Amino acid sequence: MLLWKTNDGVCSNTSAPLEPHFTECISREQETFRCWWSPGSYHNLSSPGALRVFYLKKDSPTSEWKECPEYIHSNRECFFDVNHTSVWIPYCMQLRGENVTYFNEDDCFTVENIVRPDPPVSLSWTLLNISPSGLSYDVMVNWEPPPSADVDAGWMRIEYEIQYRERNTTNWEALEMQPHTQQTIYGLHIGKDYEVHIRCRMVAFTKFGEFSDSIFIEVTEIPTKESTIPFTLVLVLGIVGILILIMLIVITQQHRLMMVLLPPVPAPKIKGIDSELLKKGKLDELNFILTGGGMGGLPTYAPDFYQDEPWVEFIEVDGEDGDSGEREDNRASDTQRLLGLPHPVSHHMNMGCSNAISFPDDDSGRASCYNPDLPEQDTLMLMATLLPGQPEEEEASFDVEERAPASSERSLVQAQTGGPQTWVNTDFYAQVSNVMPSGGVVLSPGQQLRIQESTSATEEETQKGKEDEDSKETEEQKQKELQFQLLVVDPEGSGYTTESNVRQISTPPSSGEGYQTIHPQPVETKPAATMEDNQSPYILPDSPQSQFFSPVADYTVVQELDSHHSLLLNPPPNQSPPPCLPQHPLKAPMPVGYITPDLLGNLSP
Amino acid sequence: MPGNIRSVCAVWAMLVCLVFCGKLTTVDAAPLCTNAQAGCHVLSLANLFDRVIQHSARMHGISNDLHSEFELYFLPSKNQIGRVSRNCHTSSILTPNGKENAQRMAREELTEVILKLLVAWRDPLWHFHQSMAHHHDFNNFSSNKSLEMSDMVHELRKGVQKVVEKMQMLGIISNSVSNLASPEALLASDSAEWRLMKDYDLLYCFRRDSNKVQNYLKILKCRIVPEHGC
Repeated sequence: MLLWKTNDGVCSNTSAPLEPHFTECISREQETFRCWWSPGSYHNLSSPGALRVFYLKKDSPTSEWKECPEYIHSNRECFFDVNHTSVWIPYCMQLRGENVTYFNEDDCFTVENIVRPDPPVSLSWTLLNISPSGLSYDVMVNWEPPPSADVDAGWMRIEYEIQYRERNTTNWEALEMQPHTQQTIYGLHIGKDYEVHIRCRMVAFTKFGEFSDSIFIEVTEIPTKESTIPFTLVLVLGIVGILILIMLIVITQQHRLMMVLLPPVPAPKIKGIDSELLKKGKLDELNFILTGGGMGGLPTYAPDFYQDEPWVEFIEVDGEDGDSGEREDNRASDTQRLLGLPHPVSHHMNMGCSNAISFPDDDSGRASCYNPDLPEQDTLMLMATLLPGQPEEEEASFDVEERAPASSERSLVQAQTGGPQTWVNTDFYAQVSNVMPSGGVVLSPGQQLRIQESTSATEEETQKGKEDEDSKETEEQKQKELQFQLLVVDPEGSGYTTESNVRQISTPPSSGEGYQTIHPQPVETKPAATMEDNQSPYILPDSPQSQFFSPVADYTVVQELDSHHSLLLNPPPNQSPPPCLPQHPLKAPMPVGYITPDLLGNLSP
Repeated sequence: MPGNIRSVCAVWAMLVCLVFCGKLTTVDAAPLCTNAQAGCHVLSLANLFDRVIQHSARMHGISNDLHSEFELYFLPSKNQIGRVSRNCHTSSILTPNGKENAQRMAREELTEVILKLLVAWRDPLWHFHQSMAHHHDFNNFSSNKSLEMSDMVHELRKGVQKVVEKMQMLGIISNSVSNLASPEALLASDSAEWRLMKDYDLLYCFRRDSNKVQNYLKILKCRIVPEHGC
């Protein structure tokens, strides 16, 4: 025996003949199977019938070798049909010659392990999409399971493997195995030709079947340039059309469309106020609304804004006791004030027309002195009482108040028990409370020069204490008040002044301020504030000081209206003119709580 | 504040929806209703079959993996089929060996065969896993697979029993299928045989039997409820 080395380094024994052996046994559908044999190097055995096939089916211990049920000599094939095929049972194959048996233990198998399914059929492909760049695309491949495999009965469960490659290349790209009869191939390149084929095998087994016939996929470039030209054209035409449309709308003044295309710029708005009111000349309504007189009135204008500006004046309403009580007390206090009756009020009921607007009430715009319930008869009566009866009382108060400046600033004014309310006010005007049948107008009681007895001394003291800080300030203000008082006082002692007098008086003050606030204190301190003002704010006909202590009429009768819309009042006999004069050098009435810029100009000294 | 109310209402509606949706989904996952109780979401027979078939497919896959691994590590020579000296312990169970045989078999018989096979493999697989766990050569992955395999046999048996109950309830099969919940009846006959088998033989036999179970189940399903996937 000669041994020589072959190229792969294996010693091969060329003289030893190759025995007849089985090349392969395959089942296609797990129902039948075939075995092929080869005579090897024993060429004399290649003729049909020289070798015989025997098999052993180990389904029982007593099984024995049987001959092949069906020979196909042209192929050297042994075919086992359905009747002779049993799955899950080991088969062993052997070749027998004349007196020789060629058997190899490797030729034993079970049918399920030799199954190689037929290739799938009816391959087809569809284009899924093309990438935005236009360079690659995706393809969906569909096929049918092999017809021989009984997939419907569940006898075989098959999984498929797709492989593809570019034409004329050698390497196949394999996708993952999966049991469905369709699969997507991603990322194919446009312009290239692809070849696709599929093979399959049983699930959880190792042997693949043959590859199917190949199909070819090619997608050529889609011309895109044509689409760009009409696109730009459409765009340009569209823009031009829209422009023309807008021009037409603007020209033809279609207001509705113009509103849509060119919405108007919103005008400034204040909630609750019609913008018409803001136009010139409609101040009355605006004031009314702003001061909360209307339905959903605006919140009251805070007096704090104008604390520093003495020419701004507010009518203050005392809101300590609420509205309901206030009304009655108003009434009572008004009457009592008018009549000079003692007022059994133990608490502060300051209904004076004081400076600041104290609370956000609808009445705040008005002087709290306003008492609409005062009947007309009472008016007459009150007028009468304002005549001689009062001076006595007020002289008494004068004495008290005379003493006051003599003492300290902190002296308390001894209030007559239950005296009428003290007033702290420098009203330039008053509200008309009623119109008398004779034609006169009843004004609500004047405020400022009325310092009547306060109710509780302690309160005044405490409030006095608060006022200590402001003492200096009030002193200065007193000076101003003196001047201020001159405005309303008739130097001739008639107790009233006409407007002409007022004008004369108004010029001397060099302060340059026609109006001042008496004091900026809050509401609660009103009584005390009035204490401080005791010394100053009285208007006396004879001297500035003495004038301050003269009682102030609660109301007076309007004589006439002058050309400037000011009220000319009848003077009460020994009364100083009511402080509540609605006159002022301005043309229009001073708006409460609000000053428009054009009014501001009129406030010049 | 309408904004706040709206957001609160939206959150409330969302919570209600979640609760209801949760209830609806949990109904699907509820255990099988035995007596078709009212309000109980009942699985269809086809659905049950599908689940069981999937389970058996997975079981067969694991057994295949284990077998090839075992061959690779312990038995370098390729074909050991001829060397299987003993038959599998389940050879005594008469099983149809071809498609036509399986299709011709009565449903009750086929179901019984399946159950017998599953019952027969419970203990041997458990012992196999125990021996593998102590085997240092076997890596953890294979050890986990053997455990999984023994668990799956157990689960699959329970699943098949449920299918049988359902079929009996629907009148598809008669009540002649014996209740194999107590495996003592079966194991008494061949209790000792599997202990004599070597590990490799055990794996080989189980791989074969799991394939049988898978095929029989599929055939049964396509005969009884051939809706989809057949």
